[in-house]
Amino acid sequence: MGYDAQLLESIRRVEATRSTRMGQQFSRLTADEKTALLKGYHPDYKAGTMRELAVGPNAGDRVPHELADLLEGRSRIDPDFDLSCIDYDVDVLVIGGGGAGTSAAILAHERGAKVLLVTKLRLGDANTMMAQGGIQAADKPNDSPAIHYLDVMGGGGFQNIPELVAALTKDAPAAIKWLEELGAMFDKQPDGTMVSIHGGGTARRRMHSARDYSGAEIMRTLRDEFRNRQIPYREFTSAVELLLDSKGQCAGAVLCDMETEELRVVRAKAVILATGGMGRLHVQQFPCTNHYGATADGLVIGYRAGAKMVFMDAVQYHPTGVAYPEQIVGQLVTEKVRGLGAQLVNAKGECFIFDLETRDTVSSAIIRECLERKNGVQTNTGMHGVWLDSPMIEMIRGDGTIAKALPAMMRQYARFDIDMRRLPILVYPTQHYQNGGLLIAADSETVVPNLYAAGEVSGGVHGRNRLMGNSLLDIIVFGRRAGMAVAERIGNVKQGTLTLDHVRGYQADLMAAGRDSGQKAPMLLPNYLRPETIGRRGNGQG
Amino acid sequence: MRVPYFPGCTLHSKAAGFDASARAAALALDIHLDELPYWTCCGATFSMAADSAMGLVAPTRILASAKDAGKLLTLCSFCYNTLKRTNKVIATDAERRRKVTTFIEEDYQGTVKIVHLLEILRDDLGFDALARKVVTPLKGLKVAPYYGCLLLRPADEMGFDDPERPTILEKFLASLGCEVVEFPHRTECCGSFVVVGAPDTARECSGRIVDAAAVAGAEVMVVSCPLCQYNLDRAQHDPANGGRAKAKVPVLYFSQLLAIALGCEPSCLHFESHAVDPRPRLSAWLEAPAPAPAA
Amino acid sequence: MAAETVQFYLMGKPHAVPKGLTIQKAMEYAGFRQLRGCGCRGGFCGACGTVYRTAGDYKLKVGLACQTVVEDQMYLALIPFFPAVKANYSIEDLPPTAETIISLYPEVLRCVGCNSCRKVCPQEIEVMRYIAAAQRGDIARVANLSFDCLMCGLCASRCPAEIVQYNVAILARRLYSRHIAKPAVHLAARVEEIERGGCDADLASMMAATDADLKRMYAARVIEPEEL
Repeated sequence: MGYDAQLLESIRRVEATRSTRMGQQFSRLTADEKTALLKGYHPDYKAGTMRELAVGPNAGDRVPHELADLLEGRSRIDPDFDLSCIDYDVDVLVIGGGGAGTSAAILAHERGAKVLLVTKLRLGDANTMMAQGGIQAADKPNDSPAIHYLDVMGGGGFQNIPELVAALTKDAPAAIKWLEELGAMFDKQPDGTMVSIHGGGTARRRMHSARDYSGAEIMRTLRDEFRNRQIPYREFTSAVELLLDSKGQCAGAVLCDMETEELRVVRAKAVILATGGMGRLHVQQFPCTNHYGATADGLVIGYRAGAKMVFMDAVQYHPTGVAYPEQIVGQLVTEKVRGLGAQLVNAKGECFIFDLETRDTVSSAIIRECLERKNGVQTNTGMHGVWLDSPMIEMIRGDGTIAKALPAMMRQYARFDIDMRRLPILVYPTQHYQNGGLLIAADSETVVPNLYAAGEVSGGVHGRNRLMGNSLLDIIVFGRRAGMAVAERIGNVKQGTLTLDHVRGYQADLMAAGRDSGQKAPMLLPNYLRPETIGRRGNGQG
Repeated sequence: MRVPYFPGCTLHSKAAGFDASARAAALALDIHLDELPYWTCCGATFSMAADSAMGLVAPTRILASAKDAGKLLTLCSFCYNTLKRTNKVIATDAERRRKVTTFIEEDYQGTVKIVHLLEILRDDLGFDALARKVVTPLKGLKVAPYYGCLLLRPADEMGFDDPERPTILEKFLASLGCEVVEFPHRTECCGSFVVVGAPDTARECSGRIVDAAAVAGAEVMVVSCPLCQYNLDRAQHDPANGGRAKAKVPVLYFSQLLAIALGCEPSCLHFESHAVDPRPRLSAWLEAPAPAPAA
Repeated sequence: MAAETVQFYLMGKPHAVPKGLTIQKAMEYAGFRQLRGCGCRGGFCGACGTVYRTAGDYKLKVGLACQTVVEDQMYLALIPFFPAVKANYSIEDLPPTAETIISLYPEVLRCVGCNSCRKVCPQEIEVMRYIAAAQRGDIARVANLSFDCLMCGLCASRCPAEIVQYNVAILARRLYSRHIAKPAVHLAARVEEIERGGCDADLASMMAATDADLKRMYAARVIEPEEL
């Protein structure tokens, strides 16, 4: 397959300017330039893409239409669902089997809690598994949590919640140490020193990695440890509503077996939502880097139960999603590629932005370059893109760097006959991360008593824009905090009667506000069937 | 001289002393053992899987990886036996050659020559030349050479030495300056892998061999097989642990004595892993004083 | 101009789809909404291991459904799950030796060297070689050779010795990282400093800083240079 003639010709122009570009750095933007760029070109600012919610804790706040459709959607169960028969009676219910969920479950279980973890796909099916570049922590002598704090704040637009940022940066070294002790295989020097590089927006080289399988290595290790401890869990089991009790506490959930479609009731003294992000909502029809199950389920059921969200109008687009070949469009090309020295280059062979600005900045710059300045490349399927000059990595850091540091990516492109060591790759922004989410305190608790949230589903720590390497950190830090917090909380919980009144009330509020998207929510899984297929089905449903 | 080298599983783990001492000693004789870049267990199942093509797959793959060099050296009797006999099947049985080589997708005709270090010393260097290279003659050391089974049998396939009255180890030991001790059990089976399923039986076999060597006046024994070393060494444990031998005779790899005689660094010997500690008897020839043996 | 179509067989049943789709997207085009056998959709999670044959060729081929383009006359099945055995262990208590691996997974010694595992690996990992390394306790080699493993289970499905290679591998990687690789001294030092409260004052002043202060500090950051 490889590149077609048109793309190869474009690549010649990239190669022609390489020697002049190498060693030069495009100047960083001032704060004002950055603001103007974002306002002009970032998808969050595009008119008509968001609407105000009418109902719930965030009434009046704007969120993307795709999310609003779910928040204004219909429950999958009847609020009169019989809750008298309890199928699982536990201390802690963890909803989600990614990095945050498994960390939380391990910590809670370690402290004696009776835990049940449910996940709608398999244990480990999560965005965690796909994260590539690394995990930040200020553990080198020339660095400190305070310096890390400043980077996080600046990246987030200075709107991050201070307590959460302090928790993130203070716990970071301990999070890495925990993973190291569990046997996660971080890239290290022979003497044990962690290999660390810059990411976008960092003042210190504090990104720890495991080649470009950083998330997978963490997830595999956590999953193995979770299984070793024989913590009870059920796969292919989703949560379709949270339960409250007569005291207003979160008290469990209604589960749906994804294979048999049976509904079951879990009563729990505390619930941890670790349901991840929303890439599969395809905001503004962007492709995404996310896994199959990233459908905002936790936001939906949490919101119905009264949990407040923050920064839900801030969607992170990763600047470098695959733009060619078409089969893998949208998939992540880690920031590490730029961290190792590859430059973003337009169709004329020119640099147009400093490669390691924050993600929102670089994404906006690429969109401007392609759509307004018309300096991008367009593939034969109409996909826009700019070049990411990956051969520079081999030239700057020596032959074999890509094979050693980016084996997953090298393999991904090799499957389509593209050798990224010799030829640049085409990239365009792709929907990547939910910057905001359910608001939590430093112990991961939401505003709903006994309802906790950890990982991508939670909001506040990253402000309006997350830095690379802080998501893997977020899930470990707040996953652990959630696990520790619930273990302490459950001893003091007196449960009331289980109820779905909040769902009834929410549906009524929606009706009164005249809002009904008609969609069933939570989405659980995206529907990629063609309209023709759906039309031919006897029940007319996808 | 450079020769491709197949260590086999135990020489990288339990029998590290065999591997390290052989490499060091060979190097002192300007023989470079070039370990194959990729190798798997030889299977060692050849003798037990008479007909199955499956048992030939692993050793044939190893042989094929040495086909360009045309030669492959190994030390462990089990590996030597497995590789040599597999090679003969591949070379002479066209049907099985076709089946196995097609399966492993290698073009291999059975052209590699399997050699043992003792054969190289005898045929390429010569024992007289070896004697002249000895730096530390092991004068006065009474050594019983133990051959076991697999180096010698089946005789028509192994061609290593006379199966009833072999002499290669005796000549080797003489060239190091040792006093060779003749004893009747030198080609009897040590019990081999029977030690796994019926340890008492194996210990009986090994015990008899060790006792016979001791009665004949041996101070140490030499072997060429990690399993023989294990059986003979452990047979001398406290009878309460299943040991049967009455005597205490350290069991060495021939390469360890060779390494000492050639003046190699004692760190290559790994005597600490032996059950019956050889260091007291050999202390005169070991540069550093022997540290206390592990319990 | 109508797109070219190709025909593929999913568990024996033919479907016509436009040329150029991955197996995963082709299945959706053909009307299957996936539950099992679909995970990250990006080549990292091992959910969509696929075995297939092509017309007139007896050779068994493999790929990830999310990364493999449908060929005309492809004859395939996904294998989203294969029964495995997994030992439970406390990684901190285990020495990084062959004995550890053999005691937890004794079947690893049954390897006959057939290389079926390597042939069926969608990541082209040298599975047989790392099993050989495991047998002789070369834990570091197992860790390095197996690193790109997605734990899709295809190797275990084909092994005549019934080894679950990927579970041996993750044990080895954890043993390597925990007991062989050197611990990061600077990391332990920083963790200890934080536990002592050594970083509290600076963090507190950051938390107390005004927006204006933070912006000023941020703009004035000294950026650590790249190490090249």
